[in-house]
Amino acid sequence: MAHIEVVRRSMRPEEYTDLRFGWLKRHIYEDKTEITSFRIREARQTAEMQFEFYDAEPRSLRRGDLYFTPDGTAFIEADAVIPEKYIGKEIRFVLKTAAEMIVKVNGKYVGGIDPNRENLLLSPYLDSDTIHIEITAYNRSKPDDERNPESLSVRGCRQIFEGGYLAVVNDDVQSLVYDMELLLNIAKSDCSPEDYRQLINRELAHAMDLLDFDDLRNDDVKAASDYIEKHIFADQRYGGCGNVALVAHSHLDIAYYWRRIHAVQKNLRTVLIQMRLMDRYPDFRYAHTQAYTYETVEKYYPELFEELKEKIKNGQFEPVGAMYVEPDCNVPSAESLIRQCLYGQMFYRKKFGITVDTCWLPDVFGNSWILPQILKKSGVTYFVSNKMSTWNDTNRFPHNNFIWKGIDGTEIFACVPPTHFISWNMPDQIQKNWDAFQDKDTGTETLQMFGYGDGGSGVTEEMIELMHRFDKISVMPKTRHVTAHEFLSENFTDDKKLPVWDGELYLEMHRGTFTTKSEIKRWNRQLEYKFRNAEILSVCRLLRGEDYPADELRELYKKLLINQFHDILPGSHITPVCRDAIADYEEINQSLDSILNESGNTYFNTLNFTRNSLTFIENENGCVCRLGKKGFYAVPNLPGLSSGKIEKTTEEYTWLSVRDTVETPFYSIKLNPDGSICQILDKQLNRSWIKGNFNKLVLYYDYPGNYDAWDILPDYRNKQESLTITETCHLTYQDNETAEFTTVLRTEKSVWKMILRVFRQSRAIEVEHDVDWHEKHRLTKVEFSPDILTRELLCDTSAGFIKREMTKNTTWQQARFEVCHHKWFDLSETGGGVAVINNGKYGVGISDDSVSLSLLRSTIRPDPTSDMGHHAFSYLIVPHTGDAVAAGINRLAFEYNVPLLRADENLNFPVNGLYLQSLKLSEDENYIVARLSEQNGARGCLTGIGPFTLMDLLETPQRETDFYAFQPFEIITIGFQVKNTEKQTHSDIFLTKR
Amino acid sequence: MEQYINEVIRPKIQGDGGEITFDSQDGDTVTVIMQGECSKCLILDRCIAWIESQIENDLGEKVTIHAIRKKPFFWDT
Repeated sequence: MAHIEVVRRSMRPEEYTDLRFGWLKRHIYEDKTEITSFRIREARQTAEMQFEFYDAEPRSLRRGDLYFTPDGTAFIEADAVIPEKYIGKEIRFVLKTAAEMIVKVNGKYVGGIDPNRENLLLSPYLDSDTIHIEITAYNRSKPDDERNPESLSVRGCRQIFEGGYLAVVNDDVQSLVYDMELLLNIAKSDCSPEDYRQLINRELAHAMDLLDFDDLRNDDVKAASDYIEKHIFADQRYGGCGNVALVAHSHLDIAYYWRRIHAVQKNLRTVLIQMRLMDRYPDFRYAHTQAYTYETVEKYYPELFEELKEKIKNGQFEPVGAMYVEPDCNVPSAESLIRQCLYGQMFYRKKFGITVDTCWLPDVFGNSWILPQILKKSGVTYFVSNKMSTWNDTNRFPHNNFIWKGIDGTEIFACVPPTHFISWNMPDQIQKNWDAFQDKDTGTETLQMFGYGDGGSGVTEEMIELMHRFDKISVMPKTRHVTAHEFLSENFTDDKKLPVWDGELYLEMHRGTFTTKSEIKRWNRQLEYKFRNAEILSVCRLLRGEDYPADELRELYKKLLINQFHDILPGSHITPVCRDAIADYEEINQSLDSILNESGNTYFNTLNFTRNSLTFIENENGCVCRLGKKGFYAVPNLPGLSSGKIEKTTEEYTWLSVRDTVETPFYSIKLNPDGSICQILDKQLNRSWIKGNFNKLVLYYDYPGNYDAWDILPDYRNKQESLTITETCHLTYQDNETAEFTTVLRTEKSVWKMILRVFRQSRAIEVEHDVDWHEKHRLTKVEFSPDILTRELLCDTSAGFIKREMTKNTTWQQARFEVCHHKWFDLSETGGGVAVINNGKYGVGISDDSVSLSLLRSTIRPDPTSDMGHHAFSYLIVPHTGDAVAAGINRLAFEYNVPLLRADENLNFPVNGLYLQSLKLSEDENYIVARLSEQNGARGCLTGIGPFTLMDLLETPQRETDFYAFQPFEIITIGFQVKNTEKQTHSDIFLTKR
Repeated sequence: MEQYINEVIRPKIQGDGGEITFDSQDGDTVTVIMQGECSKCLILDRCIAWIESQIENDLGEKVTIHAIRKKPFFWDT
């Protein structure tokens, strides 16, 4: 029989139930009394808790008036008298709005209102029949509203005030509404059994038949509820399965479609709402991340911070996260991630007396392989991060509850929940989670996070009320509401036979975030190493008896860490967020310059090995101009942690010949007119290095779509924009050490100058780019196809290297067409290879037998102005003998990124086989702490430096020793006790003469 | 006018994920390009009216803003 599509013109029973459900909701408020005394002052926030007002005095605000302005904050007040008829009843304040509001009544913080909730309970906080309402409101016209469809219609900068009311809720109607909310969700869900959905549809229709909406009587409402109880909830014949743990949280982006200054109120509103829910529902537990957000509560809302401390103490409010913020976990260096833990845990220990054992990073765009070790040594036992399960564009991540094995072999319990971290605790979301859970055979529960988020907000009364009814639904998985710690500690024990994932947690999406906002990435790299230098120099001065600027360094470091937040450093934010970040970087830079206070003509090598690579020395009398600074190239020959003079070569050398080829002591090079290189014949190794494009600049069309700043699509290589050569590559400078070849390329809108430098004393070839960039939807890469037979790309992680497969045999390999690296990548075969060392680039493209360094993007969402303007950056191309380790690429990369300091200092700290990542005064000021990393994948011994204290990354002493056998890729923290004498503070090891 | 829109109005619009750029002025009609979130805002007219009132208040000029929406390709359906 042919299928005939039947178009119904009458209402289906389910639609009639929906209609009546809407009618029922109109009766939630038993009574409403409009407050007519609202007054408003419009303002714009200019800094944390600072506002510019549009109006000198408040104006009245009446229902129907427009309120809020673009990027606006409003201060709203009203006075009212509690109607006598409300005495003895539960009174609510009702205000429907698209904005985010913190509400104070009679001086007390009573709660928050936002697009996810339109009323708050007043009664428990009232001590008088007159009320004075104070509202701080931040308008909210943000994309995450799309998760709450009802709020879409009210999105925009100028809002219509819909009035504010005192109201009394009809509890019977409200309870019936919750029942129906729950059941209708199941009835409409494809995940639920068909027969149970039929039961719900049939019985809800009967329940609604008990109501007369022309004259809704409470007894009928109760009868309808009783009917549902008896005919649906009591019916346990329909079986379900599964075990789902429900953990409440709220994802709060510190900056995204809003500035960091707004996060103070966004966070407070979120925290306040959750605390008020705890007052009403004693069984409610809520997890909250980011020590920074707690700091802002303490700083600006001290009375609420005290209340928060009480709720932490009684177990209702659960600090999770361990880190200072939820940082990007691709681009920050190992030391930055360590500081995220150090300063995060310091806060939690100091203020709440706890060490947080859960790293909570639901939204980060993939996780570096170095994390397990860093977390484990920072007091963290459990790692939670969602996106690999829900956002991967190619492969389904195979585990949810598992053990994550890090680059050094450290294992940590890891949870990648099967579904999104923002959910509103609906039965269909819970069922989908269980259905998607891939580790059912381990016998563990699956984690379901619930609560509105991105801009905070969190859990609603409705979510809790629904949760209290879940046990009545026989087809639902068994649920329990627990803390994050309860879920993790009860499900991740040694006897669960958890699967192991040994590798990075690469996110198969958001690959553009390694490159978007080039300036932010450049600053971040530069300042990470400037902090390193500032702390080392400060230790030197401390040892001479000077003060160590501990507080200043800590506060500055925290500012850098805030800007590593996962929507700041990756570049996925609106225009003002970028502006704020650059302002912060400039401030940090200036402050570090003051701390460094460089002077004189003696140079201090802060690296713990001899600097013997050709280095650019800034000098105003120098003839070379590199990245906007004058100077000269010289080989410092400075031993590690020591000082000396560096002189410019004065002897004359004949070392360069430029004809058809460029002849240097190392190479015979042929340059193309566009600055790419078509030949590098190695005179020392007697081989050629180039097979295809090499140092070839390519502009690709880059149209990823809605997630513009985030994504690069796999087919980005399909279409290129041609570059016009306006200056053919030619010799523009030559001295005793270097020669420069310059080319200028352009598109219709942008000008791209490229300078290639070859050297007398170095095998490296430096390439400097100076770009006036005005493209839209373009991705610029520089491509390298060396003549090397390899199927592996080595990438620096900042604390060891990762080998990535270049073949495209499997979908896992295909998906990794753009990866994150730090200071260098390397392609090698037996006998030699080519490394590329950068000073602020992170994206690397892998395609067939070539690799590309991603240089610039020009995205338009969220920031239509992203990356426009001037850019200057450089990298080294280093053909070498042996592999990357034998060639000392790690050393070269440190030398390229860590500047020499103009200071006359010497430290005795003879450590071999390890890199000094940081040297600082411990946070308790009792130790000089050295952080050392093994980065070549080798074992070795730390000895010959006398007795030292082994520490964890939180600077907690573990044991005293004078010998430590370290593992490949291990990060080691050791301390030397500071002796306080009358005049001097010193640690003997560093002062021992060479 | 161009300076006022770029320096006073623009940062506020950018604060909400939008973008405004001055295009031209012809008598009392000022044409601006609206991008980002503004390009798809359902209630942009309210915002435009506010900009007109701000111009009148701060510059003493009564103008009509002609707003051209420039949607990114992925919203241009």
